Amino acid sequence: MSGIGWHIFAFGAIAIFLIVIVYRTIAISRLPVHLRWELAPIPHEKGKARYGGSYLEEYEWWRKRQSRSFMAPVLYMAAEILLLRGVWKHNRALWPLSFAFHAGIYLIALMLLFSLVSALLIITEVPSGVVDVFLAIASVLAAAGYLLGGLGAVGLILKRALDTNLRSFNTVSKYFNLVFLVALFITGAYAWFASTDFASTMSLFIKGLVTLDGGVTLALPLSVHIVISLLFLIYLPMTDMIHFVAKYFTYHEIRWNDEPKNEKMIEELNGLLDQPVSWSAIHVKADGKKNWVDLTTKKMSDDEKA
Amino acid sequence: MKKLKLTDIARGEDTQLIEINPNELIPLPPPYDRVEALPGFKQLTEEQRGRLVCNLDGVVSYAALPKTKNKEEEKKYVEQFVSGMKKLLSKENNWTFLQPLLLSIDYCAQCQTCCDACPIYLASGRNDLYRPTYRSEIFRRLVNKYVRPVGKLRAKLSGGDIELNWTTITRLYELSYRCNLCRRCAQSCPMGVDNALITRELRKLFSQELGWAPKELHEKGTVLQLEVGSPTGLRPDVAIDNLQFLDEEFTEATGTKVSTPWDKEGADILLIHSAGDIISFPEGPISFSIICNAAGINWTLSSEIPGYDGVNYGVFYDDVQLARVAIRHAQIAKKLGVKKIVMGECGHQHKAFMTVADRVLTGDLDIPRESVMTFLENLVFSGKIKFDPSKNNFPVTLHDPCNVVRNLGIVEPQRRILRYLCPQFREMTPHGVDNYCCGGGGGLSVMSDVNFTDWKVHVAGRMKFKQVLEAFADRPGSEVKKYICAPCLNCKLQFRDLLDYYGAREKSGIICGGLAELIVNAMVDVKKPFIQWEEL
Repeated sequence: MSGIGWHIFAFGAIAIFLIVIVYRTIAISRLPVHLRWELAPIPHEKGKARYGGSYLEEYEWWRKRQSRSFMAPVLYMAAEILLLRGVWKHNRALWPLSFAFHAGIYLIALMLLFSLVSALLIITEVPSGVVDVFLAIASVLAAAGYLLGGLGAVGLILKRALDTNLRSFNTVSKYFNLVFLVALFITGAYAWFASTDFASTMSLFIKGLVTLDGGVTLALPLSVHIVISLLFLIYLPMTDMIHFVAKYFTYHEIRWNDEPKNEKMIEELNGLLDQPVSWSAIHVKADGKKNWVDLTTKKMSDDEKA
Repeated sequence: MKKLKLTDIARGEDTQLIEINPNELIPLPPPYDRVEALPGFKQLTEEQRGRLVCNLDGVVSYAALPKTKNKEEEKKYVEQFVSGMKKLLSKENNWTFLQPLLLSIDYCAQCQTCCDACPIYLASGRNDLYRPTYRSEIFRRLVNKYVRPVGKLRAKLSGGDIELNWTTITRLYELSYRCNLCRRCAQSCPMGVDNALITRELRKLFSQELGWAPKELHEKGTVLQLEVGSPTGLRPDVAIDNLQFLDEEFTEATGTKVSTPWDKEGADILLIHSAGDIISFPEGPISFSIICNAAGINWTLSSEIPGYDGVNYGVFYDDVQLARVAIRHAQIAKKLGVKKIVMGECGHQHKAFMTVADRVLTGDLDIPRESVMTFLENLVFSGKIKFDPSKNNFPVTLHDPCNVVRNLGIVEPQRRILRYLCPQFREMTPHGVDNYCCGGGGGLSVMSDVNFTDWKVHVAGRMKFKQVLEAFADRPGSEVKKYICAPCLNCKLQFRDLLDYYGAREKSGIICGGLAELIVNAMVDVKKPFIQWEEL
């Protein structure tokens, strides 16, 4: 691929990734406010979260100020994202593979960050000793990331195929996602072994992209790896693998959303209650025109007499 | 045990999908470990099989559908099912749960972590049919196929394409009532996916679009409650008469004056019991009268339809019915001019009225609502009532109603009362927010008929019964009377079925009652023992 080709492909893939991720995130966030559906334990409940208690344990809770922790949910999610806390707690047999797989992805993301920083340091002509430190770290991160990710992904494919507990729920897309990732990890590992200085080459490639240098050239193994990685970047946001976005909503907006009504919410609720209903069962009594309030509110007997 | 594929749901027409074999269920401790010594699982008669759709697991309740007259009728229902799926995914018809539903449909990783959290799946000996993921994944694939763009093509390409036919929808309908909606599965899901919610949405689709719901929950449930006052059929005047009679009877039996106020305008508190307690567990409502009067509370019950019955089965299957009942309860409180509403000892009433319906109770219907647990805790530790905990010196364990504990996070108040008033209080394992459902959750406790109770006691309530026996393992014999404190009407009904079925009163001396009864039993001013072991 020519230098300009790399630019178009790389920036195009990044743009598609960002646009689709942002679009899908906004789409989820703009779904209407739902009825409360919280689930204990809720980590922001100060002093109560350790046993799953909530502010509803307080006598006349509405007279008291809810004591919420900001840090507890952050720490909970950090353990969930980085260490797969939930899988460790509830599905220990799956954890080693799933952790290796996710750790591989995180390490590769970190490697890219270090490579980007190295590229910026090279551009700004920082002394080479500093750059070398960043490149050395990036190199270790790459090796560890490809190795762990590859092992995890291959292991997960085998587990899905062999474990009778999982097998009947598999779909082609689940296998395809994992195979795609195996290809990414293996080509990355091969490129690392095939290159005398993987991290340096990666940094120079990124420098070429950042500075719009048309002279970017790469050896075949790294080219193949980067092509697969960029294709994956385009593919990722189209799939359910963006559960890292969905998870924010399933936890913060549903499980942990124990917020009583506020003025903004009431305004939105009034709009939702005003919508026409068209469910067909006789008892609902919907005709496509009556709204939620019409269907669910009956005047009290005294009001009716009046 | 037969391994099930997801696609099996659509195959075999009238053929029963699985057979429940009691020998494959998880074993119980002695003396309940010998399957042959227990009453058998009732089998369906040929007449029932000819009349009803029973193509799932050989279990039939009032939820069972009559067989259709012809293929056209079946086709009509299948089309309605597709239309219902579309409505479930629309903002207008399902704003109430659209975001949680879409996230649960779209982001399941198929890791099966939730299965080992499900007491029904575990008790069944890990029967595939009862996996929390089995019905959810079928529903997910149907939604993706029939509601999403190019769904049919994607279904063909992705493998595991599920055919939508009469067999599929009737089995899915029945299967949606093999879940307690306890949300233990949701709690264990690393993604935050909620299979109990999917099950409830499925029930909702059947109810709100096809008009299918178990009679006990709908026709004899919410509909009867809104018309007559209570799913028990108890009319307002009969409810008042019953409680007046009970007031007199308990005054005589306990030597303590019992009186229950009705329709007192301007009272501080509206207490809403479950009317089922008045009929099946009258010691409960009477205990409240004794406690409130002893503490000098300005309180009242309401005889307005349905203000004397706090149950709200809508939370199990239908948003419209849920809102109708909740709004009605709030209107009654508003009319009485009370300062707050206190939930009775009823788990799903707590969840329905305190949180789920919170966002439909706007304006002047947003009257403060409090749990009975915090209300009682405040009274017990107020110093207004004298207690002698030695009167409760027998083994007591606490059952955590899922809707109070896991769903609302009300864990400690009831425990503080029991630690104070019951010297031999002991926890089950696991307990608190990790508890197991009694097996009657999700409306199942009020569903019976044919052989549904057999399923509830054999499968749904099995983990809980095992837990109870383990909690009392140090005093196994019937000579030591033991008390399961279950502060929830539906849980008590399920425990009654469990204890009856296994003969646990006779064999192990175990009874079940509420929390308020234990409080009254420990009151110094109540001279005679309040808990009557032989009657519970």
